[in-house]
Amino acid sequence: MSQMAMDLIAIAPLLIVAATAVVVLCMEMARLPRPGVWMLTIGMTIATGTAISMLGTDTTAFSQTFRVDALSLWAVVILAPATILFALMGRAELKNTPREGTVYSLMVFGALGAMILAGSGDLMFIVLGLLIGTLSGTAMAAHPRDTFSSEGAMKYFIYGSVAGAIMLFGITFWVGLTGTTLISGLSNPGLSSSVVLIGFISLIMGLGYAASLFPVHFWTPDTFEGAPVSVAAYLSVIPKIGALFALTQVVRDLPVSVVDWPLILAVIAALSMTYGNVVALWQDNVVRLLAYSTIAQSGYYLLGVIGFGQSTLALDSLVVFGVAYMLMNTGAFAITLAEGTKLDDFKNIGRWRPWPAVGMTVFLLSLVGMPPLAGFAGKFLLFGTAIQTGYTWLAVIAILNSAISLAVYMRIVVPMFFHESETKEPLSYAPGTSIVWISTFVLTIFVGIGVQWFLN
Amino acid sequence: MDLSAIPLLSITTFLPILGAIFLLLLRPEKTKTAYAIGITTTALTLLSAILIWVRGIGPGISQVEEFSWIPSIDIAYRLGVDGISYPLVLLTAVLFLTSLIFSSKIKDNANIFIELVLLLETACLGVFLSLDLFLFYVFFEITLVGMYFIIAKWGHEHRRKAALTFFIYTLVGSLFLLLAFLGLYLFSSPNTFDMQQLIANPQITGMAATLTFWGLFIAFAIKTPLFPFHTWLPLAHTEAPAAGSAILAGVLLKLGTYGFIRFPLQMTPDAFREFAPYIIVIAVITALYGAFVALAQTDIKRMVAYTSVNHMGYLVFGVAIAAATTTASGMIALDGAVLQMISHGVVTGVLFLLVGALQDRTKTRDMDQMSGLLRAYPLLSGMFIVAAFASLGLPGLAHFPAEFQIFLGGFDVYPVAVGFIIIGLPLTTALYLRAIQKVFLGTLPKAYTPQPDLDRRELWAIVPLIAATVIIGVYPDSLLSIIHATTKLFGL
Repeated sequence: MSQMAMDLIAIAPLLIVAATAVVVLCMEMARLPRPGVWMLTIGMTIATGTAISMLGTDTTAFSQTFRVDALSLWAVVILAPATILFALMGRAELKNTPREGTVYSLMVFGALGAMILAGSGDLMFIVLGLLIGTLSGTAMAAHPRDTFSSEGAMKYFIYGSVAGAIMLFGITFWVGLTGTTLISGLSNPGLSSSVVLIGFISLIMGLGYAASLFPVHFWTPDTFEGAPVSVAAYLSVIPKIGALFALTQVVRDLPVSVVDWPLILAVIAALSMTYGNVVALWQDNVVRLLAYSTIAQSGYYLLGVIGFGQSTLALDSLVVFGVAYMLMNTGAFAITLAEGTKLDDFKNIGRWRPWPAVGMTVFLLSLVGMPPLAGFAGKFLLFGTAIQTGYTWLAVIAILNSAISLAVYMRIVVPMFFHESETKEPLSYAPGTSIVWISTFVLTIFVGIGVQWFLN
Repeated sequence: MDLSAIPLLSITTFLPILGAIFLLLLRPEKTKTAYAIGITTTALTLLSAILIWVRGIGPGISQVEEFSWIPSIDIAYRLGVDGISYPLVLLTAVLFLTSLIFSSKIKDNANIFIELVLLLETACLGVFLSLDLFLFYVFFEITLVGMYFIIAKWGHEHRRKAALTFFIYTLVGSLFLLLAFLGLYLFSSPNTFDMQQLIANPQITGMAATLTFWGLFIAFAIKTPLFPFHTWLPLAHTEAPAAGSAILAGVLLKLGTYGFIRFPLQMTPDAFREFAPYIIVIAVITALYGAFVALAQTDIKRMVAYTSVNHMGYLVFGVAIAAATTTASGMIALDGAVLQMISHGVVTGVLFLLVGALQDRTKTRDMDQMSGLLRAYPLLSGMFIVAAFASLGLPGLAHFPAEFQIFLGGFDVYPVAVGFIIIGLPLTTALYLRAIQKVFLGTLPKAYTPQPDLDRRELWAIVPLIAATVIIGVYPDSLLSIIHATTKLFGL
């Protein structure tokens, strides 16, 4: 078999995703949004299956520029089903709005960008993945075309452009220093610290923007609030996991002796967690609250990146928390989509719609890290990674933040069960929303107990 | 029937939750049916717990049930009992049964209430029976969720605030526990979450052991609670419904004290020995502080809550004495501490139920507004007086043999500390006598229209606990023999 054919087979999941994106776009051209969602579901399922069958592969494609390893394959396994969930939510929310099919198509394109990021072996792939993600995210966020969504999309775009420009600027230093755009070129302990540091900081600007890490998170609440809820949910999961996996791909080749990157990331993690959780305490809009919560969750997630290469639990923690975060966060957004975005909308639904209320409680407690839910399994491994890497102080900050986050999430739980309200008019969940919240609900519990299947 | 082939421990642990699921599916319309199911479940659980005893409690960890769960990081489903955990299992089974009988007057969302109580019972039993750090932690956290909803939904006036305080406060503690567990795992070789191996061969040393010890200490000090981490307790105990308070004081506080014995004492013994003097000082302060503050209360429920703080001070004092010394006195103190867990569970449990019964009748918890109730409710008053005497440590009742052993063991090692901590005894005596005088003696206000004395439901809940108080007081060896067989192995 020629090298080219082998490379193409190695990136088969991504090719399937790309093909799906095109097919879904064609469906929209024919104004067939419903079959579009079907095609998306089928395509993404095939991509997931292909990636699962390839798990365990560890190789590179196209002269080391793309890595087919646990990270990039798991990214497909997590993000492709997530895209289906978001598309179902989008169908429930945007049904019969003009150009709704473009959103589904853009969701797939954006997921492709995130998957490219997760497998980057070359700095140019990071740039490419980030750009695809930013552009499709902007277009989706602006979909309702009203003042709020335009403002949010604008912010997302401008932040993305500036952060991306800074990243490009910094990366050129790396290329100048190593003479190659390959990330593996950085694994040379003899490199000049200061130049590598400039590159690293600017890289964090770019990737941190996509992952909404402090201090490049400012777009998050506004964009989420203006965008459709399904798009907000999408933006909170897909680009984040892609960007954090890309960051992992970079730091695994970056010698600690040149730049103390674990320390830099630890500081950012601590700030993200604390900022996200503390500011979330004052939010009255559930989407904004969840937006700040995603900033905090990115902070926790960094614990896994910090330990990469040093801790035996790091890879497992990234995968398990990725799966858990995708499930619980998507579920919480799905119920918000059905119930409304104001905290008052949640009053007393425990009485009128007990199961969605229980579901929301499970998602939120999972976000806190309550066992035996998925979020606990993820955090358990993340904290283990941090301690094993010698960052006990960061683990302590993370647990204190988990306690604060309980106060944050209880702000939604308390009204659901303990606040009186007028009789709620019966609300039937759209089928898409029901599928999403019930499947994520079951999996949030299941993944917590069946963690073994996700360990490498 | 061959008892040895049955996974009794798992059955005991999961029977309550099965009952809850049954209830969830059945959704009985009548609260009576719901309580019948709930009470039957807890009764069966008690039966199953007794069968564990019949099968024989070994001195070491016995009746182990093991099942692979997450083998990559050596997490498994492991259950087992020894002489320290078994009495607590029995206490849990008894207290949940009586509490559920007592609370069968709750009609508001009764199904959900019973389901939560049953969930809580599974979680508590699971904590005591777990032999795996991960499994222990899972059960430990579920207790928080169950208790949160019980307080927040069925509690008194300030229930929501109390519930949230309880939840967040104790969550901070359990998160420290998580870090400590990860420390124990990462510093064991080969890495394992198996508590049997960690107990048999504590490997963690140096700075890591110190940090782990303090992590464990903070976790259990909040749960127990010790001064200055006790501030969640009076609020939660006062605001919870009567049965909730009984379970909270009787069982949930024991998660902390049991933890002190199981983890710091058994897994980081050297660090505990090093820091024992500090812990002793904290325990003495806790005991005295609890007694003094209880003395200042006018709310009778709050007063009982603060006496818990006092008793927990004695208890941790006993554990710390055991950590500090390798002589026989340490063993005596530890025996006392383990027995104190049971005594306190039974006595405080029944006290909270009685306070609940009192509040149902008088519609107040303010002692200044009650007087002469002995005449109106002779049975209730009599029971309360017996329980109060037990709580203040009267010989012949449950607390005496426990506290006696703690002080006896402690006197050999830290006589000065015992001299201080013993001041707590006259204080609790004073506060209970004062309460009895105020509430039950004196004259009944003329305008007061008495309601019926304890009814059958309440008697079924209260009498068994009073009986247990007397049995433990008169014949402590019934439990001490099991406890002592295990503590002997501690190598103290």
